[in-house]
Amino acid sequence: MECRGEAVVEKERIHLRPGTLCDATPATLHLLPCEVLVNGPAPVGRFFTPAVRQGPDGLQVSFRGRSLRGEEAAVPPGFTGYVMVTEDRGERLKGKQDFSGSSESDGEEDEQELVEAPESLEREFDRFIGATGSFSSFTLWGLETAPGPDAKVLGALAWPSLAEAIHAQVPED
Amino acid sequence: MATRVDCGDGARARQHVFLVPEYLKDASKKTKSGLMFVKLVNPCSGEGAIYLFNMCLHQLFEIKVFKEKHHSWFINQSVQSGGLLHFATPMDPLFLLLHYLILANKQGKFQPLDQVVVDDAFPNCVLLLKLPELEKVLHHVTEEKEICNKKYYKYSKEKTLKWLEKKVKQTVAALKTSNVTVSARVQSSAFFSGNQVLSDKEEDYIRYAHGLISDYIPKELSDDLSKYLKLPEPSAPLPNPPSKKLKLSDEPVEAKEDYTKFNTKDFKTEKKTSKMTAAQKALAKVDKSGMKSIDAFFGAKNSKKIGNLQNSKK
Repeated sequence: MECRGEAVVEKERIHLRPGTLCDATPATLHLLPCEVLVNGPAPVGRFFTPAVRQGPDGLQVSFRGRSLRGEEAAVPPGFTGYVMVTEDRGERLKGKQDFSGSSESDGEEDEQELVEAPESLEREFDRFIGATGSFSSFTLWGLETAPGPDAKVLGALAWPSLAEAIHAQVPED
Repeated sequence: MATRVDCGDGARARQHVFLVPEYLKDASKKTKSGLMFVKLVNPCSGEGAIYLFNMCLHQLFEIKVFKEKHHSWFINQSVQSGGLLHFATPMDPLFLLLHYLILANKQGKFQPLDQVVVDDAFPNCVLLLKLPELEKVLHHVTEEKEICNKKYYKYSKEKTLKWLEKKVKQTVAALKTSNVTVSARVQSSAFFSGNQVLSDKEEDYIRYAHGLISDYIPKELSDDLSKYLKLPEPSAPLPNPPSKKLKLSDEPVEAKEDYTKFNTKDFKTEKKTSKMTAAQKALAKVDKSGMKSIDAFFGAKNSKKIGNLQNSKK
């Protein structure tokens, strides 16, 4: 790999395993209008998916007794959705000799993760991340009513086209 | 969020939902490595931010996180709290380089690039020097001298403002095609049937674009750019001396109830400051939010997260 091999530079990098982008299997995603405070397995296919109905005004389902209305949200053109998982160092580093990352233990870091918000990327430097699933659309759910065109996440999906303009090279004089 | 997450079983690894450009997949077929997330400086705040580097295609991507309160993911047969959506979009590395050029300019002399891009806090900044296209576009923001086949650079504010103006122009064009409502009229538009974009003024587009670009440059430069673009002070929206850039849009304006008086003929003559109705004041007020517009696409937690990142670094 093209790096200077300085330990200090090598730190604070998360390497994305490129092969996993090709191997990722299609995943089904739902964005719920409520916060479930746990991360882990859930029998979505047993309780949630079979209850989804196509109503006159879009998809319907209920979760914890509350009525939800849903619609499909497409990933912006030119983009692909991925679910990525960071690997626990040591645990899943099998057959990864083509990477030059160090493998010192980080018990302290794990401790910190439990205390802080678990979803941020920032504390996972010097690790590896890989795609486990891919998607080109997901189901967006609103409470009682469909999220509608004013949903903030739909606004965010317009970001790539604007970012392209902001960061495109400017014409020469 | 104080709930302790049980990580006892391997299946409970944290999952991140990402949107990345399609071509990264094809690029990844040709290479075994070279895609990595690194922490670099945020050229606006000077704090840390996450970027994605493609060492093979020599590209830089910025990572933006969408976060809204009370959301979670169902991902296949699992639940992921937070409901975060990460975007990896191509970034012009010149914004990052500009951060270092401005810092180095305090010494006021021509310097080779590897002496400019030096950062103890973010050592990964040396990766910027590996972007081969970067040297070709440096002339947009620097004066350069060549001595003994070695190039020396010095930040040029004049050239930078010119470059930024072009950036604003192409962003305005994108805003128009992507139907982003840039003026405060988005609120009243709820009363009418769509098409509010038609009534957006050119000045609104420029201010909105200026706000977007300002997320990538230091505050002082943003202020200078505002003057350079002859944007009125956002706190006191004065009617502009008619300049070419700020002339009203040539797009047809559809008459919609009393909207007409905001758009066309009256606007040119009206002194906004002297006669502002309550509604207009409200409009002017909301306009300002356009300044911090990138945040509008993402959750307000963004800045906080960056703050955390800074802390965790120490």
